Order: sequence, then C-alpha cells, then structure tokens
Amino acid sequence: MNLGVTAAAAAFKEAILVFTPAACSQFGLQTSSEEEPTFDLRRAAERVKLRGSCLLFTSRKLDKVRERRKAAKRTMFPFMFLLLLVQHVLLSSTHEAVISPQDPVLYIGSSLTATCTLSPELGLHASTLYWTLNGISVSSSAYSVLSPDTLSITLQNLNGSQQQSGDNLVCHGADGHVLAGSCLYVGRPPEKPVNLTCWSHNTKDLSCKWSPGGLGETHIQTKYTLKYKLRWYGREKECEVYNTGKQRYSCYIPRNLALFTPYEIWVEAANQLGSATSDITTLDILDVVTTDPPANVQVSRVGDLEDQLTVRWASPPELKDILFQAKYQIRYRLEDSTEWKVVDDVGNQTSCRLAGLQPGTVYFVQVRCNPVGIYGSRKPGIWSDWSHPAAASTPSSERLQSGSCDPKPGEQNSTLRRELKQFFGWVRKHASGCSGMSIKLYDQWRVWLQKSHKTRNQILQDDNS
Amino acid sequence: KNTVFYQLFIPHCSIHLSLYFLFTNDAEGRLHQSQVAVFLLTYLGPPFNEKDFSPPRPNSTALSLPSAATRLELWHGLENQARLAQNQKAYSVLLAAVRELARSTLCPALKTSLLHFCTGLDGLLGSISALMTTLGYALPPPSANMEMRPTMNDFAKKVEGFWILRELQSWLWRSAKDFNRLKKRLRG
Repeated sequence: MNLGVTAAAAAFKEAILVFTPAACSQFGLQTSSEEEPTFDLRRAAERVKLRGSCLLFTSRKLDKVRERRKAAKRTMFPFMFLLLLVQHVLLSSTHEAVISPQDPVLYIGSSLTATCTLSPELGLHASTLYWTLNGISVSSSAYSVLSPDTLSITLQNLNGSQQQSGDNLVCHGADGHVLAGSCLYVGRPPEKPVNLTCWSHNTKDLSCKWSPGGLGETHIQTKYTLKYKLRWYGREKECEVYNTGKQRYSCYIPRNLALFTPYEIWVEAANQLGSATSDITTLDILDVVTTDPPANVQVSRVGDLEDQLTVRWASPPELKDILFQAKYQIRYRLEDSTEWKVVDDVGNQTSCRLAGLQPGTVYFVQVRCNPVGIYGSRKPGIWSDWSHPAAASTPSSERLQSGSCDPKPGEQNSTLRRELKQFFGWVRKHASGCSGMSIKLYDQWRVWLQKSHKTRNQILQDDNS
Repeated sequence: KNTVFYQLFIPHCSIHLSLYFLFTNDAEGRLHQSQVAVFLLTYLGPPFNEKDFSPPRPNSTALSLPSAATRLELWHGLENQARLAQNQKAYSVLLAAVRELARSTLCPALKTSLLHFCTGLDGLLGSISALMTTLGYALPPPSANMEMRPTMNDFAKKVEGFWILRELQSWLWRSAKDFNRLKKRLRG
C-alpha cells in the first residue's frame, strides 16, 4: 500500500484540484466491493501538504496519468484512480448541466441561442464556462451570462452540419471538463428530385435512378422513396431495395411487374425541414428493356485474306426467342490502341465481316445488343453492356516480310550498299572525271568510319576515368 | 485424463483465434480493430475523434459491465471460473451495446462495419461460453435486456457510444492477457 500512496502523492501534484464541500462527503472512505481498493485520500493529501479536505480529478487528467503508466510496467495504481473516478462520476454525472434546446433541427443560415444550465451541487459559476462547436472554441463575444448558473450562446448564420450525426455543441467547465452537449442538425429541405430514369432487365425487373434537385446536399438525413402504380388502376406501391451497387440514388423492383400497361413512377424526398416530390414519369416496361450482351462472341480469319476478320455471336440467351428486330453494334480496336472503331449498321444478323484491317495485327472485338421493337415497342430501346472482348489476328503477307517500314539497321545498310554499287557503276560509265570511284572506296570509307568512331569513344572514356 | 486435457485446449485455441482477428498487439490485428474505432469516432464528429478527449462516463444500462480495470494481484489470483465469468459478462453487455449502436447509426457504411464487428464479438462470446461449459462451469442466465432505456438526447447517446468503444478497447486488451493466464493455469 505504501507504494500506492507514494505514487498517488506524485500524481496529486499534477492533478487539478476543485474543492467542492458537497462532494467531499462521498470521498475518503472505504469502498463497497472487495475487488475495489482501499485508499485513504486524507493521508495522501497530508503528504503533499494540500489544504482542503478532498480532491476531485478530472477524467482527462486521469487519462494522462494512465498514458504515462502504460509506458512503465502496468501497476494497479491507475486502476484505483479509475475506479474512484467512476464511483464519483456515477453519483453525479447524470445531471451536471443541461443544454437547451436539445438536438434542434435548423435551416442553414439561421441563428440559434442555446443555454447551459448548471446543477447547483457543482458549485461553479456560469461566467467560468465556455462553449465549443465541433471541438472549436466559440469566442466569448457570443456568450451572455443570464444568471449565476446559466450561460447562453448565440450562433449566427449557421453552416450546414459538418457530419451526418449532427454538429456537437458542448458546454465546458473552465478546466475543459465536458458538462453537457447538444447535437445541432443544420440543413435545408429537399428539392424536387430530377432525372428519374428507369430500365428493365429482360422485362423481369425495374431499376431506377434519380438525382436530388437543386444544390443536391441537404446536410441532414433525407429519405427518398420511389413509388409506382399502374396508370389506370392499382394501388400505390413503394420500392424497397435502395442504393444497390454503387449508385447512391437508386432503387430496384425485383418482381411482379406488369407488361402492356403503363406505370406511373415518382420519387418523394423528405427530411425534418420539408419534403418534395419529383414529376411523374410514365413508362411501359417494354419500352425500357435492356438485356445481356450477346453470347459466344467469336472472331476468326477469312481464309487467307489479310485485311478481314469474321465476327460471329449468339443473340442474348434470355430473349433469343423474341428478338426479331434486335439491333447489334460491333466495335473493334488494335491491341495496343485505345481508339475504338464502331460498326453501326449490323442489323439483326448474328455475324459480320470486318474489312480494311491491317495485316498481321491483333484486334480486340466486342458486340452489344439493343432489344428494339420488342413485342412491338416503338421506342429506341436501351443498349446492353459490351460483351467480353474477343481477340484474333489477321494473317500477315509474305511480300511485306523483307523490310517495308522500319527495316532493321543491317538491312538498311545492305540496301544502301546495293544502291551505291549501282550508282558507281553508272558514274564510271557516264562520268569520266570520277574514274577512281568504286564500291571498294565505299567499303574502305565504312571501315575508316568504324575505326574513328571507336577511337573517339576511347578518348571519351579516357577523359572520364 | 490426457484426452480430457486435449479437449480443453480445442475451444481455448479458438478463443485465441477470435481475439486475434478482433485485437492483437501486432500491427495487423490492431489495424483491423482500429479501423472500426476510427470510423465510429469520425462519424461522431469532433471533439469525439480528437486526441485526449474524455467526456464523463454515463451511468446507463448499456455500460453496466464489469470494469476491465482491476488491481494486479487480484487479477493475477482470479480463479478460472471467475476470470471466464467476467469476460463472458463483459462481452455479453458489449455485444448488445454495439448492436444497438449499429442500429441507431445513420451512415449505412458504418452500420455495416459495426455489424460485421458484432459477428466477431459473437464468435468470441460463443468460444468463451463453450470453454466454460467444457470446464464444467455454469453459464450465467442471460440478463434481462435493456428494456427500460431512459430517454437520452443525441449528444448523450454519442457519449455513450464513445464509452462503449473505450470499454471495448480496454476489454479486448485485457482478454488477451486473461487467456494467456488461463492457458498457463490449465497447463500447469
């Protein structure tokens, strides 16, 4: 126990002391459960020669003590303090102070006057308190002492809430101790949602997405509800599966959708400051059908033709029996290029020949499908995703193998040499003044060139070393 | 007698494994647990996510768990049954508290993260209970759930959430020591 008391004495020197006669009676005596330690505060107080009959530690200081103790070997000492503090706090923390209003919802730009009322047993004066908003101190020019136990603050022109859980407005004692807090929800009412777009996958389901209207961000929790009903009859229903995938404002209706009758669809937005409804979109499921990409895309050569490839595919499996008028689109690119070339007029065949290609090159090809005109729909339809890329290479031709573009350096020289030989032959024949000109001279010149190149490099190396 | 001894260690190993994924002293384990902590504190907003912040501990049913803090010689001398019972009680309360925290969270991503963490806690609790049963200790009856929740304002709920996280961190740190101690005692 001696060790404990000495250590306690050391900590007292750093502790913040608040003398509260009312709280004193709770201290200085033994504890209830056998697990908790016995500790005599009065004896320890004598050791450090403190006046007053009891001490109160703020939890903050306690944590600082704990942090230091952690570095050293863990002892029972900090736990004793924690238990004592817990004991004290349990008896008085529930009503240290009260902030009013609690958890208000406000418009952006509005003002708020809040009050912090202390409970009398704390023995603090309102003038010693201060406020923070989201951890930042508010200047005391906004404060007003209404009474010895009530301090008010006026916040003007509030910005939208910094986090969804509300802005933290906290009333502190002079030493930083948290007395009470209130969460502020500052935002704006929602605007009419816009750009409501829907599509159906194989006529079985319906996915919709929209955008929040106006400035978009309301700063407070806003609920969006997608509703739909059959146009001429039927009860209003609500979509249930929201924000699937990466889309933030979206909803998915998985089943029980009727064909051949139009639906009315809209989005309702609501929060604690107001609500708004989007315009009603009327659509027929068959007009917004999309499907899977075509299956089994295969690309192959056309015999020996070097500039052509054939692409073949199967119509998407789900709709293959009813896609009489489907349109297809093909796109292809060179292996190391990012530019796609699109073939648009494919019609509803399931094969196509690509022409005008480069020989001996690899191409990547993709196909997609638009189930236009499905069941007599007159709308343009929605394109599917592109299929997985299929690759193939065009045959390379024989003629082009002996150095057309970018010949190798050796080849280049042999071509030049050949030409020079021809030139010198012509010079000897037609120009009498250059009789000494011969291909042997050229060869000698090449040798001399190489030698001098080597010497030059040698000199450079010698210079560097 | 040897076969009984072997059986005792099977559930014991699984506890260590659960703890490892929730919280260990090495970088990997700590990172996992800390991510949830950082996420939650960021959601609560400043000053909750500031270093050294410490609001008073509320006196609520969600926090009516045995304290992880205890005198060293008392901790050292704990009988196996008492040691396990304290852990079991603590994690029962903490699991319910974190579940409620997840339920009341407005941010869907945080809700998912907390519920995922609850799965880990549930596994840990199951392992502890299994070990207690194997060793022949009676499991305490499930305490009545927090039906009478006093109305707290949103800030008070945030403070409670902050302390639930703190208790969780204390207990995870302590349990690692508890199970090391238990392992030594069961072996010797």
